[in-house]
Amino acid sequence: MIGRLARAGIALALVALIVILALAFRRDPHDIRTGTVGKAAPAFTLSRLDGAGPISLSQYAGKVVVLNFWASWCVPCKQENPALVRVYERYRMSDVVIIGVLYQDSTDSGRSYVRDLGVLWPTVVDDDGRVSLSYGVFGIPETYFIGPDGVIAGRHIGPIDEQTLVTGIEAIRPAAAR
Amino acid sequence: MSPPGGRAKGRILIGLALAIFAVALALAARPHDETNAERIDRITSELRCPVCQGLSVKDSPSQTAREMRALVEERVNEGRSDAQIQAEFRAAYGDWVLLSPPVFAWTGLVWLVPLAALAAGLALVAGRFGGAPPAPDTAAPTAGEIAMLRDRVAREESADT
Repeated sequence: MIGRLARAGIALALVALIVILALAFRRDPHDIRTGTVGKAAPAFTLSRLDGAGPISLSQYAGKVVVLNFWASWCVPCKQENPALVRVYERYRMSDVVIIGVLYQDSTDSGRSYVRDLGVLWPTVVDDDGRVSLSYGVFGIPETYFIGPDGVIAGRHIGPIDEQTLVTGIEAIRPAAAR
Repeated sequence: MSPPGGRAKGRILIGLALAIFAVALALAARPHDETNAERIDRITSELRCPVCQGLSVKDSPSQTAREMRALVEERVNEGRSDAQIQAEFRAAYGDWVLLSPPVFAWTGLVWLVPLAALAAGLALVAGRFGGAPPAPDTAAPTAGEIAMLRDRVAREESADT
């Protein structure tokens, strides 16, 4: 009786192990889970890099917001910039807003970067890193997709490409706005 | 041989030294109110630096760790509890941000599975080798059983001859 129970237990443990491994290997290694995806995007009010006053997330309620954390010293940020430029051009007259967040960088370097690389969307300065911490930023570049309901629908760690940006935006964009 | 007065003096000195040692030990071990700086050190030593390889916020020199420490300092000065401060970081980074994740979350399986396996193994060993051997059947045979046995023996003997 105990032998049969033991065999059943071992078989069950093996099945559980296979299931756990299968689930673990299916995960995208770039998809590091945090507490923020699926929750309301932390509110913020930060100064614009161009000095044109502050920007609050709340002023974009009802729109799709793409929040991109970057710095001038970040090489992968430069690599992803052309994709952001193309996506900005594609959506600039729509309900989709791109906001850059300058992360652990000086405003002078940030301004040079914006000027040289054709960043036309608004960029805000996260001086003390509080906004980055509230979003759970691990390292840059990092991009968050915030839906019209103000909930963080997705996040991408590392340089993002145009297709991933468009897919992320269209997944949360109201059908009527397309 | 030392004089009796010298021996007594030696005992007093040893006793005095032991008493001083005990008092010093008690003073060192007495609970004291944690200062804000000690509390910040403790909380940051329990938080993982997100941009480091296995370093706590307290031990990391990175800017992210410095920003996290500044936030902890601000929250401590605001009078927030340890749990509230941890909850703020967990909301952003999940349980991962704690260097010692809570035992009774998903990570608790890491502790429970080996214990369950050990218990199952012990149960298996106890079932195989433990326990008393089956007791011998000491009940006297019934008259019917004896009669059947006699018949069988008689049949076998007659068959042999």
